[in-house]
Amino acid sequence: MTDAAAHPDADEGRPDERLAYRGVFTRMLVRPEIGAVIGSAAIWLFFWAVSEQFGTAGGLSGVLDVSATLGIMAVAVALLMIGGEFDLSSGAATGALGIVTILLVKDIGELGGAGLNLFIAIPLSFVVAMALGWYNGTVVERTGLPSFIVTLATFFVLRGFKLGFSKLTIDNISVGRIDEGRGFDFWHPIFAGVWNRNEHVWDTRDVVYTIGILLGLALFVLAVYEGNYLRKKQMNPAGLLMFAGGLAGTGAGVVLMHFTDGISNDVLSGAVIAGSMILGLIGVALWRYEPITDDNSIHLDSRVLELAGLGIVVIVVGVVCALVVDVDGQQTILDRLPAGVEWLITVAAFALAGAIAWRRRSGGWAAGSEQWTVLFQAVRAGLVGAVSILAFMFMTTEQGLRAILFVGLSTTGLILLAMAALRARKSSPLSGSLILALNSLVIAALALFIQAESGHPKFRTEIFSVMMFGAVLVLAWALVSSRCQQRKAADHDADRLSTLLSAAGLVAVLVGLISRLLWTTTAENDSGVAFASFRMSILWFIAVTAVATFVLGRTKFGSWIFAVGGNKEAARQVGVPAAKTKTQLFMIVSGAAWLVGLLLAFRLQTLQSGTGNGLEFEYIIAAVVGGTALTGGYGSVLGAAIGAFIMAMSKQGIGLALWNSDWRFAFLGVILLGAVMANNFIKAKAEAVR
Amino acid sequence: MSNLIELDNVGKFYGNIIALKGVTTTVNAGEVTCVLGDNGAGKSTLIKILSGVHDHSEGTYVFEGEECAFTSPRQALDRGIAAVYQDLAMVPLMSVWRNFFLGAEPTIGRWPIRWVNKTKAKSIAKEEMAKMGIDIRDTEQPVGTLSGGERQSVAIARAVYFGAKVLILDEPTSALGVKQSGVVLRYIVEARNRGLGVIFITHNPSHAYPVGDRFLILNRGHSMGNFAKEDITLSELTQLMAGGAELEQLQHELEQAVSGRG
Repeated sequence: MTDAAAHPDADEGRPDERLAYRGVFTRMLVRPEIGAVIGSAAIWLFFWAVSEQFGTAGGLSGVLDVSATLGIMAVAVALLMIGGEFDLSSGAATGALGIVTILLVKDIGELGGAGLNLFIAIPLSFVVAMALGWYNGTVVERTGLPSFIVTLATFFVLRGFKLGFSKLTIDNISVGRIDEGRGFDFWHPIFAGVWNRNEHVWDTRDVVYTIGILLGLALFVLAVYEGNYLRKKQMNPAGLLMFAGGLAGTGAGVVLMHFTDGISNDVLSGAVIAGSMILGLIGVALWRYEPITDDNSIHLDSRVLELAGLGIVVIVVGVVCALVVDVDGQQTILDRLPAGVEWLITVAAFALAGAIAWRRRSGGWAAGSEQWTVLFQAVRAGLVGAVSILAFMFMTTEQGLRAILFVGLSTTGLILLAMAALRARKSSPLSGSLILALNSLVIAALALFIQAESGHPKFRTEIFSVMMFGAVLVLAWALVSSRCQQRKAADHDADRLSTLLSAAGLVAVLVGLISRLLWTTTAENDSGVAFASFRMSILWFIAVTAVATFVLGRTKFGSWIFAVGGNKEAARQVGVPAAKTKTQLFMIVSGAAWLVGLLLAFRLQTLQSGTGNGLEFEYIIAAVVGGTALTGGYGSVLGAAIGAFIMAMSKQGIGLALWNSDWRFAFLGVILLGAVMANNFIKAKAEAVR
Repeated sequence: MSNLIELDNVGKFYGNIIALKGVTTTVNAGEVTCVLGDNGAGKSTLIKILSGVHDHSEGTYVFEGEECAFTSPRQALDRGIAAVYQDLAMVPLMSVWRNFFLGAEPTIGRWPIRWVNKTKAKSIAKEEMAKMGIDIRDTEQPVGTLSGGERQSVAIARAVYFGAKVLILDEPTSALGVKQSGVVLRYIVEARNRGLGVIFITHNPSHAYPVGDRFLILNRGHSMGNFAKEDITLSELTQLMAGGAELEQLQHELEQAVSGRG
């Protein structure tokens, strides 16, 4: 017997010493939904930048509204997919169950429904839904056929039924007027209540919003500190005092900013906020963390200097491009260039491709067949190159070119600087911090440049403050990381505190965001951009996601879902009722379809017989974007909900950005492929770390 | 000592095919009974009878002094006969503790608000593995990332924890390297020392001999004998298993071929 066997309790709670310590970031990367979280943030930023309305409460309420019905289904479908099955009838089932409910309550006219009370019709349609799910599950289990085939059959049957049955009973393919049903007044608020928040004025809202966001981000930073640095044995109270001072200063700065007017005051309060935050963060570092003892002198090797220098040059080029290219130029680049230049580009592209193909085949024109291969490759590459350059120039206006050059070059420059910092950090923490401080300066300079140059208030104020805040954080990071020791081993207490802090940070950010969503200011009301109305479906979406997360993560049934999807035979051998579990999953999906059907029926009051057809693939896409494996046994409910949010953002965003909505599906396709590739990449990284 | 399992002249027919005939052996608490045989010798059929997948066609199967005829693995499991199969019965993407408690998760609360007691499950899984002499690094890690021997150990520890009196191990060492096999053999001894009756099925006599107390040798569906350890040596065991004379012949031919080349 080993020591561990003799004292099993002594080991509890303390991680094993053979377990290499995983940093905060790596641990976050192991979660299946991380790809979806990053993706949704990127897409949100993208649409926020290109659309007037997207970032407002009104735009967001629209996105949430679309994501609700999609998300409820995506969550249920994700559970089923983790259990290793598909349901292609889920889309058609939403419409079918809505129609069933309407037909049950419609008056018995010359043609028509059953004339039931809604209090009877709603439970009755739920029974129909359960029967549908039970049927799908039982047929899949009994016949052993792939669920893909079985539910595809159900899909066609439902589609036929919806058309045939509604024509048969009311001789119309749009089944309407659920509001004729008795009990409508009771059920309508439950399934389709609308909550308008436009008259709810709260002028200090932005103070709460700003404090929430700042506090949340500061808490995240503290969480990362706690996870990353080695704790002191003896805490330093002076540092705590400094932290408190910084906290108070930040609050004062925010209040100052909101209650005084004028640019000089803004600059003053901005400086107060930034200074106090840096002070506070350093205070925390002094208070809690062990200082670096070993040699910490500056070593900057030539590669670091090269990277940093290149980064700064690239950024300067980007700034120069932004200054030189016309701000308002609406002509395409091709129009601006002298005639005949497209021929020059074409010839150049072919020449370049030919040269590259020639160099690759060092053998030259040795063998007969080789020549043709080289020629073919050169022609192909030249064609692709010329077409893409010309297409780019044809589609891009000068204004667009300016934005692309500036954003592309400055991002590249920042990435190069970050690479330099990472590399410098390897030789000593202080060298890394030096480059990080340079990073912070460059970010601040870029922010000032954007503020000075941009014509749009969104860029002048919001992007400016985000970038300045980022610069402050990077600077604080640089100062702290040059001084504190990195943690090499796991520390249970510190990890717990770190988790707690990041949860608190999340809550603070959410409080800020929600206050911004739910209240308007007098100024916003006057300018009329604040129209926000929330539907009941959003609450249903949140509730379904919360319950499903709990079920999957913390219950017996959740374990069984993973087990039947991961290895059904193994699950059965240890006594998991595999067939029953899968049938229940199908019933969960049809139950969700029932809920969504009712949400649609009460909201639209009239359903077309085609409602929901074809949406089953969107549910599957949302689940896959959220990190659920197509093969079963792996995935996340939260990820599926975020996946639905991504899909809704891309649907709504294209409309709000005033683009042609015909491109919606192309966009969806790109997102699907991108998200799955990102998920796989992250998963591979995370597995390698394990 | 009372016998946990007594098999007397047990046989199994599938239609006109005689899969197993005349098997007689005993399994005692705190002893390892090895079932040896080449491919197609009827080992799988014997496991299926013992673990309740199939009923036997003739003879008697006595468990704890009671004659039984199981019709489902669940019945055998409820009586305390647990089988650990070659394909491991593990879900590779699930964590160690979830696999350990799969199908019998400890819960808190009442239905409908009832959830898995994660901390308890994790600490029990770690503790039980430690009792088998395996110090698992992190019970949250997926079973798929464990080595073959460690996976076997999770399966064995699980069976032991859930009150198995008899542990049936189907070829636990066949897919493992030399070192890993040694580890699994140690777990077998560990389980035996904890008072379980172990049935160890293998086609490798050099794995069976060091740990076994009793050897049942099968060949082409027939019992070739049932020996206590003191009655048989390793080389006799190997010979019997491969059909005696045939192996001698093969050895002779091999020696000739080797010397011919040299």
